[in-house]
This record gives sequence, structure tokens and C-alpha cells, in this order.
Amino acid sequence: MLSNQELDNLIICKKCHTLHEKISLHNKGKALCSKCNIVMYQEDNKMIDKTLALVIAAAIALVIAFLFTIITINIKGLEQSLTLSSLFVVLAEHQQYVVGVMFLFLIVLFPIIIIASMLILLTLMKLKKGGYLSKRLLILIAHLRPWSMIDIFFLSLLVAMVKLFDYANIELGISFIAFIFTLILDIIVTKSIGFYELWKLHNEIYGQINEDS
Amino acid sequence: MKTHKHLIRCNICEAVNNDHKKIEVCRRCQHPISKNLNISYHKTLAFLITAIILYIPANIYPILISKQLGINSESTILGGIIHLWEAGSYPIALIILLASVFVPLLKFILIIYLLITSKYQDSSSRVDKHKLFYITETIGPWSMVDVFVVIILSVLIHFSGIKIYPGSGATAFALMVFFTMISALSFDTRLITNKGNSINANT
Repeated sequence: MLSNQELDNLIICKKCHTLHEKISLHNKGKALCSKCNIVMYQEDNKMIDKTLALVIAAAIALVIAFLFTIITINIKGLEQSLTLSSLFVVLAEHQQYVVGVMFLFLIVLFPIIIIASMLILLTLMKLKKGGYLSKRLLILIAHLRPWSMIDIFFLSLLVAMVKLFDYANIELGISFIAFIFTLILDIIVTKSIGFYELWKLHNEIYGQINEDS
Repeated sequence: MKTHKHLIRCNICEAVNNDHKKIEVCRRCQHPISKNLNISYHKTLAFLITAIILYIPANIYPILISKQLGINSESTILGGIIHLWEAGSYPIALIILLASVFVPLLKFILIIYLLITSKYQDSSSRVDKHKLFYITETIGPWSMVDVFVVIILSVLIHFSGIKIYPGSGATAFALMVFFTMISALSFDTRLITNKGNSINANT
């Protein structure tokens, strides 16, 4: 049996589950898995500030993306625009409740909760307050991550646009651009800060909370 | 020290834990780590079977219904792909084919393979199987593309003369994706690591 300190010095690659011993990195260094070459952890002493800035931008982009028109089509003078609210109205009209509820959670609620929790989490870490709350938020984000499908929604949007290309004039709305920004920012955030870094920062800021029970 | 046998990775917070028989929660995030791998095995299997059953109506029933001047025309997933291919939009047909036919089938096959090889001794390497599981987790949600496309089309093509709306196939398909994702999430990676031993003990 290994003690907690010894265990903290180990890391298991998320892709191939190879066990590694941690090495200390210089600033802006990255540690790669020896077997499958994916980034396991990285070191950056301005990580919280950088990520917080990106998350604030992502939150603004997400709000804009959800509030305004995504695209408008025009078929021989008939106009129809796609907004989030019109989407739920149409789904309710066609009585597609299961799909509607799944859509509500996967596209709207989970991304909002994830971005909001990241925002609160990083702010708390910056202020060095609320150790318990930030721990709960970290666990919440880890649970919800696989269920956020906003990137898949965007790909579907592109597919739908290509399908309509022959019949209709398509105008891009404000939300379409906001969606692109949200996705780019989301990719940068997930690339630059993983759960490993978040937990490490959490332990450094609030100390080792887990008393052995 | 370098052996993997007595160490496990919490799949929520990624912390490395000792794998003693009495472990119940992760030392860092208190996420329960089940003592009994059978629970994980059977949960994965149950959700997988549900998903496979749902895959049948998802393919039989129309995913998209279009109503033009009172005439209904329905199209299933495969019908839609064939239609797109004939209309000449090959890239879109390929994306839909990949996302709604290949990805779910690949997931079914991968999870079945991982479950079977966890029961019986086999010669394939653990690292490869961990990679397979990682692929299974990553590709999972991408099969939702077709459902989202239908939803977006149903909002945009919503005129008095012509209407498109999602059929019951869309509901079955969305639920199928949901259950394959739960199935992959309830799969415990220890089923790969200590193959055979702890499972055969009490089946």
C-alpha cells in the first residue's frame, strides 16, 4: 500500500493507462505519455489568470449564441430563422418531447452549467476562498464534461446548411459567429487546463483537505 | 513500484488510488469505486443491450417526415443517406453514414469485445484495450449529428406549404446514443486491468 504522498507522485495516462512517475517541469513545459504521446500534464505559473480570461470570453460568447438568431433562410421570399426559443416551440408543436428534453440538457443546460462552474471555480481559486465549494464544482464539471454536445450541434448546423444550400438563401446571424467563438475558446480552455492541473492547483491553494478517515 | 496491479485511476478526478479490496471511495473526490466488478460488468451489459434494442426501431422508423401539400413522405436513416448519395452530396452522405451507422455499430462491437475479453483470458495487450476503450468514449456522442440535423431542419422548413418534422425514429436514435454513452461510462477500466481473476470468482 502506498501513502497519499506517494500516490500523488504517480499519474496514469488517460488513453493507454500506463503508469508514470511524475517529474517536475519548468515553466510552460509539457509532459507526454511515453507510450501514446498525448499530453498528460503541463506547467504554467499564470494558468489561472489565462484560463479565467478565456472562460469569461467563452461565457459572453455562449450567452450571445443562445440569445440571438443563428441562421435565417429565405426560400422564394419566405423567411424562417433558427433561434433557440423557436427550436423548442417547434419541437413542442410536433410533440417530440424526449428529443426536446435531451436537446435542452445536452445543448443548453450542460454547457451553461459547465461554463458557469468554471467561472466560479477559477474566481474562487484566484481569491483563494471556498475550498469545499470549489471541490464540489470540480467534481460537477468532471461528471458533466462528456455530456456537453455543443460542438456536435455546430457540426449538425453545418450539415443542415449544406443540405439547404440548393433550395434557399442562407444568412448567417450573430449567434452563428458567437458559436464559432464559443467553440474555439472551449477548445483552447480544454487544451490548456485539464483536471490534473485543476486538482493540483486546488491542492496547492487549499492544502491537502482529505484527512485519512 | 512500476506495476499497475494495485493501483487504479479514479475516472472522475483522475487521482491514482490504491486498489485494496476494501476501497469504497476515491481518496480525493469521494467518488464511489465499486468493490465488486460484477456490478460494473452487468450494468455495462444491460445498458448495451438496451441500446442495441433501441437501434432496431431507430433504423426501421422514419427519422424525418416531410409534408408537402398534404402528402407525407418519410425517410429512414439509411434511406436519407441513399437519397443524399444519389443527389450528389457525397461529403454529407459520408458524414451521416459515419456518424449514424458506423459509430454506433463500432461502439457496440468495441464494448462487446471488451466485455468478452474481460471474462476470458486472451493474448491481446492491455494497453491496446485501454486505447480501444478511450476511442469508444471519445466517438460516442458524435452519432447525435443526424438527430440534431433533423431538429434544425424541422425548425427551418416550417412553412404552411411544406413542413419537415422529426419522426419516431429520431426519439429511438437519441435514446440509443444516450444508452451507449451510459454503457461506456459504467464500464470499469479495472475489467481490462485485472482480467479474469476477480470476476470469475463470484459469477
